[in-house]
Amino acid sequence: MRAPRGVLLASSLVTSVALVAGCGVLPGLPDAVPEDIAPTAGPSLVAHGRENLSPDGFDAVQRMAVRIRNVGCAGLSTGSGFAIDEHTLITNRHVVADSEVLQVSTYDGRDIEVTAASTAGLADLAVVRTDDPLPTYPQLADADPATGDPVTVVGYPEGGALTVTQGEVIGRTTDPLNENLGEVLVTDAPVEPGSSGSAALDEAGRVIGVVYAKTSDGRSLLIPLSTVEQLLADADAFAALPPCS
Amino acid sequence: MSQASQPPAWQPPPGAIPPPAVPAPAPARPRARRRGSRAPVVVLTLLLAAAVGVGAYLWLTTVRWQEDSALWEDRAREQAAEVVALRAELDGVNAELVAAREQLATATGRITELADEKAQLGDETVAAQRYLDYQTRVTEAAGVVATALGQCTEAQSQLIGYLENREAYDPADLERFAGDVQALCDQANRANEQLQQELRR
Repeated sequence: MRAPRGVLLASSLVTSVALVAGCGVLPGLPDAVPEDIAPTAGPSLVAHGRENLSPDGFDAVQRMAVRIRNVGCAGLSTGSGFAIDEHTLITNRHVVADSEVLQVSTYDGRDIEVTAASTAGLADLAVVRTDDPLPTYPQLADADPATGDPVTVVGYPEGGALTVTQGEVIGRTTDPLNENLGEVLVTDAPVEPGSSGSAALDEAGRVIGVVYAKTSDGRSLLIPLSTVEQLLADADAFAALPPCS
Repeated sequence: MSQASQPPAWQPPPGAIPPPAVPAPAPARPRARRRGSRAPVVVLTLLLAAAVGVGAYLWLTTVRWQEDSALWEDRAREQAAEVVALRAELDGVNAELVAAREQLATATGRITELADEKAQLGDETVAAQRYLDYQTRVTEAAGVVATALGQCTEAQSQLIGYLENREAYDPADLERFAGDVQALCDQANRANEQLQQELRR
């Protein structure tokens, strides 16, 4: 009598186990297909070349540069300059010297009214104040550049079209023109007469110096940022531009 | 042939104590056999029922998965069609973007050129104005010189006439007039020198 019951129980047990195990192995019913299978969070779009975007297609490097026409008693000359705030330009002393009238124009040909100009005695630097607001102005770098650092010069060589040239800092030297106190920077960025007063920028577009001369072997000389900042911080460093005679 | 006969049933001997009544043993073998034969039937029945259930479930699952698969395929095809349309649209937009960038580059280049042309024209205007101012100064100076030289010449002619008839005039007056004429001519000479200086600039 024991054996049949055992068989029955074992069979029932095996069947139950098989059913339970089989239910675990069997595939479940599919979920309902959603109406909208698009992901709730779309891909994030990042604009490339955003640094070059501007209201009119010109980048900040070009928008801050100005062309300076010096209508003097002795004749006509041109130079370059750049904005450091909404109404202030930096250029060279020799660009504005002996002027009867200073005429400033922007990258897009707009004329900017000049209200005053002053020159530094210890460096070939000048500050020009404008009545009209300037398009944009760059930041100043944290420190002078090191040898080998890239440099960008933006200005109006030969009084021509706005030009951007590239190069790198070659080193430092004493000023061969004896126009500036301390050392000046030497770069291989191409400049021409008329580039005087151009801004020299680092890779981030920050000012690292001001072009003031060109050597006989084609290198450009910069007034370093430290000198510029030192003079700008000294209220007595600049004197009003004397009228031409 | 002898016929087989059954032995007579056992009977207790007379006078013997009859053994106690014992129930007859149950026929165990046939009952075990019936239970033993039922077990496989039950198991098989259970297995059959389970198989039928599983089969039904699998059929239902298959049908549902087929429907689900068809729906997913429809969705996939809709999305693929949308992707194709969006890709075509993106290609068009990219082409427009490239064209717009080219146009922007051309426009900014043209603006730079125009700004340069304006600056050059401004330089030329200033230079022309300066030249015009110079010409005006030279012309004015030449006029002054011409006027002064004319007055000088006229005065000198008048002085010559007076000197030819000097008896008729007071010598002191003649001396004073000669001095005036000399001053007038000196002024003319200075104006002429200024003109020459202006012309040499």
